[in-house]
Amino acid sequence: MAVEEGVAGAASARPSPARRGWIARHRFELLLITPLVGYVLVLTIAPILDTVRLSFSDPDGAGFPSLQSYREVVGTDVFRTAVVNTIIVALLSLSMELSVGLAIALALHTKFRGRGLVRTVSLIPLGVPTIVSGAIMLLIFNRSGFLNSLLFSVADLINNIPGVDWEYRAIGWTVAGGVKSLFVVAFADMWKVLPVVTLIFLAGLQSIPEDVYEAADVDGATKWQRFVRITLPLLIPYFTMALILRAIDAFRIFELALVLAGGIEPVLGTYIFSRYAPPTNDPYTAAAASIVLFGIIMLFIVLYLRFVARRAEMVA
Amino acid sequence: MSAAPTVAARRSRRDRLDRPMKVILPMWIIGTVIFVLFPIYLIFMVSFAPGSALFGERPSLFITEPTTMWWQRVLESGDLWAPLGKSLTVATLTTLLAIVIASPAAYVISRLSPGLRYTIVIGLLVTRMFPEFAIGISVATRFARFGLVDDYVGLILAHLIGSLPFIAWILVGTFETVPRELEEAAQIDGASRVGTLTRVVFPLAAPGIAVASLFVWLYSWNEFLYARLLTTNQNTLPLQVFTAIDRGSAQQMATVAAILTLPILLVVYFLQRYLRPGALSGAVKG
Repeated sequence: MAVEEGVAGAASARPSPARRGWIARHRFELLLITPLVGYVLVLTIAPILDTVRLSFSDPDGAGFPSLQSYREVVGTDVFRTAVVNTIIVALLSLSMELSVGLAIALALHTKFRGRGLVRTVSLIPLGVPTIVSGAIMLLIFNRSGFLNSLLFSVADLINNIPGVDWEYRAIGWTVAGGVKSLFVVAFADMWKVLPVVTLIFLAGLQSIPEDVYEAADVDGATKWQRFVRITLPLLIPYFTMALILRAIDAFRIFELALVLAGGIEPVLGTYIFSRYAPPTNDPYTAAAASIVLFGIIMLFIVLYLRFVARRAEMVA
Repeated sequence: MSAAPTVAARRSRRDRLDRPMKVILPMWIIGTVIFVLFPIYLIFMVSFAPGSALFGERPSLFITEPTTMWWQRVLESGDLWAPLGKSLTVATLTTLLAIVIASPAAYVISRLSPGLRYTIVIGLLVTRMFPEFAIGISVATRFARFGLVDDYVGLILAHLIGSLPFIAWILVGTFETVPRELEEAAQIDGASRVGTLTRVVFPLAAPGIAVASLFVWLYSWNEFLYARLLTTNQNTLPLQVFTAIDRGSAQQMATVAAILTLPILLVVYFLQRYLRPGALSGAVKG
């Protein structure tokens, strides 16, 4: 790092010599890093603090630390439903994404003809906008959608068997409410983010050195033993990374829930939006709910790291 | 001690899993490809479907009489070009600004001591743990006061919030790969600090900067939440898709969605060789 001396005279105030020296020596670096730091301070940190302040402010302007908005939010059924739904969607989509993602990564890790092409193809959903994947899932899960069409065909097939008579009735999956709607949201999320999860697991699989497997072969390990005793334990750090990355997004789910379960099953994302947007126009409760959402995300990550990850490492 | 028979016995046990895998594996791979491609096929197929094809409870998977009616209708209507222009402009300007702000800073961060470097990078990523709403609510209320709603500047500023931590994270990794010796050599040859950066460091980091900026462009092109908060009537393209979902026909929705998706499929195709799993391993180990 080049040392630029001789600029000390420019400083007009009287900071302590050591401090002045440091700033003077690193003027160039400070100049380069200031725009980013400034931006993050003004347009990320400050808004977050502002939202925290807003959430503790009394809408009627009486007194600052006030739990009024939190009380108002927690008191409503919609909010409590939204919290439960958010947790259900997050757990559903996380478990589907991680298991299917791992299965795809395992398959793409084996050697076969056309592997490069298949890997490229499996990345495609990464580029599909979230709102578009919502639109696609509407086409699939609508009452006159392609899932119902498929299930009718299955019913026809089964009914060919003598003695079987199953009459399938079309379901509007997205408007059915309950777990059906939440499943559609989780499924849409899974389709969209599988490439990310797969890439993380592929990176993990490639990081396992070949000679570990060779040693296991010498000891006569079966394929299943190799998978359970070597592959899975060595993938734990990658599993943790995928889980945390995905959990943050899964709890924050918004567009897909808005499109696929909008009117029926609220999640926290859509709840916050409905509080903020017209006709409610209430930034106070919206702020309080988004702080609660942040709390849920943090709680999940801390609990996971504290209990699950540590225990898994101990087993490994 | 007769080790040989047990090994042989174990070998045969392994074979038992081998045979089903020979059938399951190809089926699983083909299944994966279908699972990934079917929804994409669907959106384009529906955009060419005549109105009658999608009625009833059993829509057909293939169309026998494709029509370009919906594409013509969407392209000729007044609702496409303005949102397309807004999305293009915002995504491009966001990308340019993100590079200008993040790359000098990322260079400095990459030259810090490892401990400090990780603290800063992780600090940047922690900001991503906050719900966008926690940032967006405050930003949207402030921007409304400054007249930045329905304004390109407001949306660009908002999209920078989401993309700066990410692009800085990627670029720190890129600049770490540029050897310090080259900088020192350039300075011995009499180059200034700025000259060293513009003539030596940045050109060497150009491929990484290009990839990072494509990611930022994609992010801004797809972004929905900030756009929704900061828009009352000048839609971006993703908002236009939402409008079509809300009150258009299935075909109209599919057509607008296809238009939003097309450029992205091209970008991902060109990006895919940078999306090797190895590119992520450094981040995991860190």
